[in-house]
Amino acid sequence: MGQQGDFLQVLREQGYAVDDLRPTFNGSGPSGHTEITAGTTVFAMKYRDGVLVAGDRRATAGNVVMYDRTDKVLELDRFSVLAIAGVPATAFEMARILEHSFKYYRRSQLQDLSFEGKLRALATLLKNNAPAALAGTGTVAPIFAGYDQLEGCGKIFFYDILGAEFEAVEYAVSGSGSSTIRGILFYMNRWGTGPIAGLNEEEALAFVLRLMTSAAEFDSATGGVDAQAQLYPIVKRISAEGVRTIPAERLKLLFSEKVLNHV
Amino acid sequence: MYEEPYRWIEAVANRRQYLDDQFTQGNPLVGVSFAQGILLLTFNRGTEKIYEVYDRIALGGMGHPADLEKLRYTVLDMAHVEGFQRSPADVTASRLMKNGLAPVIKQAFEEIFKAPYIAKILLAEVGTTQDHDHLFTINYDGMFEEQREFGLLAASPSIRGLLTQEWKNHSPLSSLQSAVEGSLRLWGIASLLQASTSSLDTEEEGTTPSSPPSTIPDDEAIAARIRETLSKETLECVLLDRDSGKMETYRALNHTELQPFIPAMYQPSISS
Repeated sequence: MGQQGDFLQVLREQGYAVDDLRPTFNGSGPSGHTEITAGTTVFAMKYRDGVLVAGDRRATAGNVVMYDRTDKVLELDRFSVLAIAGVPATAFEMARILEHSFKYYRRSQLQDLSFEGKLRALATLLKNNAPAALAGTGTVAPIFAGYDQLEGCGKIFFYDILGAEFEAVEYAVSGSGSSTIRGILFYMNRWGTGPIAGLNEEEALAFVLRLMTSAAEFDSATGGVDAQAQLYPIVKRISAEGVRTIPAERLKLLFSEKVLNHV
Repeated sequence: MYEEPYRWIEAVANRRQYLDDQFTQGNPLVGVSFAQGILLLTFNRGTEKIYEVYDRIALGGMGHPADLEKLRYTVLDMAHVEGFQRSPADVTASRLMKNGLAPVIKQAFEEIFKAPYIAKILLAEVGTTQDHDHLFTINYDGMFEEQREFGLLAASPSIRGLLTQEWKNHSPLSSLQSAVEGSLRLWGIASLLQASTSSLDTEEEGTTPSSPPSTIPDDEAIAARIRETLSKETLECVLLDRDSGKMETYRALNHTELQPFIPAMYQPSISS
């Protein structure tokens, strides 16, 4: 099966439990009272020059902040990004599997996996993960954004925890802070100065920082921007040239000019 | 009929002769380590012979395309499972060769009731500095060798000896241009020597052992060989770029990129 470029099959043959990413408990493990690491804000939106994907940097377990420098916007290859919301252990594992699957496909089949093929790969992982998602120990609701080279445009997809796939026309949000910014995105897109898809990069980035700050205001699990600690969200830009990370210095400048003070 | 040791040895010897014959028409493949990385070069008649294996590793092959494909998958599977379960840093050409390819090829060669792999393979791994570059070659019988700066796949081992000598006399390669030039020349020599050994074989019908070539052909003969091949076949050239700045180092050099690196004396004249 490896000869069809299917890395999941190669892993299965090696005895790796790729169809069940749940942590294995021997029946005696802790249950019920364990606080699962979850809670975040990730979103993707189309703007004039492509797609921006952003994620805050906080990882929480219940009321406890576990870490403030998490990277939840993961590059899978030159043209696609996975923004993860949910249980990090499962989500990072999925990202790793996908990254290797895409590499394996490209190297074995001597061509890039199509954009649709990448979407299928993620949906399959989520579908296989459904038992863990329902149990709550492996819930993942990611956003997949990338550049479709066949059609020559950026695209955004979001998923429910069982693997149902939806294409976002303008933007997609996920995580515990998403309800706050979803309303803002809807409002701005309809009654703002113009549709979000028409914003230039500068405007779009300032908007991203404002959204993240709003999410953090109402959701304790979202880190937002901590200018004092020099902590800015991870923001990646996807265009025909591929994925590029927006440098923290640029976000810092925009934050102090366009977010910190009322304009 | 192969129960007796003598029969078995005879069968293996026959198998060697059969396999040696299979490679005489093949294209040699050259791999050189230089400042910027590792360059792999060969010519093909339609089917590619150089492939990406992992972030820092490439594979070059000589032999039957179906066998090469099978072995390529062996290496690819092993590399990606290792890279996934441990780390990309743990995927090394040395382990792929010693634990992956060598046992498989040797076993196929010695199981005389089954078909052997008609394949010779070169694995190249680019390091962070030139001291950490590795080139491994493996013969159809599972015998492998490691070289630091220069690797060659060719029909006969005697060619390799001569070329290694030639490589040692060569001035160090400083740029991509000199690496392409140098590898082309080495390829030309290997190709000429290979042609001369195979013609010797046919003349003598294998009754007496053919004398291995002992001298390097002159520059004009080499240039003529390269000119002729450039006009008929496709030059295939891959760079494992040490300075790519990315995890992945593999880059196939296309025709337009290669053109300025090919010296005028090797260019096939347009008029003829």
